[in-house]
Amino acid sequence: MNDNGCIHLNNFKAAKGTKPYKVVNAFFVSCTSFDARRYKATTCVCFTCGKPGPRMHSCLHCIYFGCYAGHIQDHSKSKKHFLYIDLSYGNVFCAQCQDYIYDREITEIALTNRVKEAKSLGVSVPYIPWLPNHNEAMALKRLRKRRVISQHTTIGLRGLQNLGSTCFMNCIVQTLIHTPLLRDYFLGEKHKCKSQGSGKCLVCEVSKLFQEFYSGAKTPLTLHRLLHLIWTHARHLAGYEQQDAHEFFIATLDVIHRHCMNGVEDVEKKENGRCNCIIDQIFTGGLQSDVVCTSCSGVSTTIDPFWDISLDIAGTSLQTCLERFTRAEHLGSAAKIKCSNCRAYRESTKQLTLETLPIVASFHLKRFEHSSQIDRKISTFISFPAELDLTPFLSSHRRAVDVGAADNNNAPEGIFEDNRYSLFAVVNHLGSLDAGHYTAYVRQMKGSWFKCDDHMITRASLREVLDSEGYLLFYHKTVLEYEGDVS
Amino acid sequence: MTFDNENILIKEAHPRLTSSGDRDRFKELLRKRLIECGWRDQVRAMCRKFVKENNGPNNVTFDMLVNQVTPRARALVPDSIKRELINKIRENLHRQRNQ
Repeated sequence: MNDNGCIHLNNFKAAKGTKPYKVVNAFFVSCTSFDARRYKATTCVCFTCGKPGPRMHSCLHCIYFGCYAGHIQDHSKSKKHFLYIDLSYGNVFCAQCQDYIYDREITEIALTNRVKEAKSLGVSVPYIPWLPNHNEAMALKRLRKRRVISQHTTIGLRGLQNLGSTCFMNCIVQTLIHTPLLRDYFLGEKHKCKSQGSGKCLVCEVSKLFQEFYSGAKTPLTLHRLLHLIWTHARHLAGYEQQDAHEFFIATLDVIHRHCMNGVEDVEKKENGRCNCIIDQIFTGGLQSDVVCTSCSGVSTTIDPFWDISLDIAGTSLQTCLERFTRAEHLGSAAKIKCSNCRAYRESTKQLTLETLPIVASFHLKRFEHSSQIDRKISTFISFPAELDLTPFLSSHRRAVDVGAADNNNAPEGIFEDNRYSLFAVVNHLGSLDAGHYTAYVRQMKGSWFKCDDHMITRASLREVLDSEGYLLFYHKTVLEYEGDVS
Repeated sequence: MTFDNENILIKEAHPRLTSSGDRDRFKELLRKRLIECGWRDQVRAMCRKFVKENNGPNNVTFDMLVNQVTPRARALVPDSIKRELINKIRENLHRQRNQ
């Protein structure tokens, strides 16, 4: 099937151009404005039977709407108007060819209008899959080597040698390698480096690592170059002793983030001043802190970016820990804060909520307690779910609850909102504070889990994952939403 | 559905849902759900199979494909998704009526 249309459509375009199609598409297929939606709502019924379907079509030659149950066909025959547009998807039907016709120009108009429609509705822009152009299609034909990814594939699974207490690094690397969006970024070779070949860029090193992980080879890898780079760029982690996996995770994100900025990548700052590098796109969320003065009820709000959330071990599940984290907390008389309204130090309440959610939500359970008297590990069992809805912890949701859901009429957007997350990696700390070992569980595909213990990779069940102690928990947004950059 | 109900649906609910943009939002939500549950992949596989059995795309028209696939594709839509959509649309219509 080609996308050069048919002779009839090409003749039509030569005579009248694409304008008739453009107008019908912008008003009745993808309504690009409020006015268009109103027109569609009031006029878009079959001119013959008055019903809004099934499968409404519009004549491309004159103003006529007809259903596909026979009326559009009748109109086409009697008037000899052979081209008509399907109003659900925007495809053009040619009655002389007796089928829908694919035409690149028409497809592009439809796509542009779909993006405009999504913007006008305030919904996520439709995902546009990659379509190879002519050159790319030829290149694909020339490359005969194909790798079919089946449901039981083990591609991407490789053990990592322990270089002497480096399991803290191995388990974080396994987690990053199995972060779906990060994998897509690196396997898509999106990193364009300024200092290419210098061997100093951590992003390049991670990029290489992805290639090695997904090469199909199965022997364990040695991460000496990565370790060396981290030592050079995050000096506090240098040395051969066991490090904290959480600290290593944050330090790694930080170094990658910094190196992205130095590359020639288009890390333009967005209007809100936030960095747009791959790390920030995936891991950064916004934490809102509301401090309410108990005297004047004045609220002072600040929003800070975060890469992960550290939770106190309280309660029995991740959800209860999160509830506690986002609960309004009374700051006693010992912790008075200067209220800008009262111009005096006042007692206040403080509440943390999630203002924006990252694509990957990382939770750090504070299992290590360090105080002046004692350092200890808390091994309390905290259950965590495979699927997690973060809606209850959002700033907007908490506000609605506080106001009282009954008189909250401006919540309808909520029903189209989707804040579900799926567990994809868990890092565990085994043993005691001074003689411990780290392992990671990673999700290979939906429902297929593996345990990574340095050089050993073994299949694991979801039950086993959920029953593990859990130190770092990684959740990936279940449904991705897209922002369009087509203007 | 009786004729009266259908009439109300066409004369009142449908235009209101369309002009508010909610109809398109529901469509988008349904699309997402169908992708998530694997329905789209199943239907795509059915279509591919049908095209292959009929010796390639040049011998299959869209109408042939629709007639063949629609009944089975409809039956494959999970009840939970139908329920979710119906509840949300009902809720939406009630709210609009009360305004």
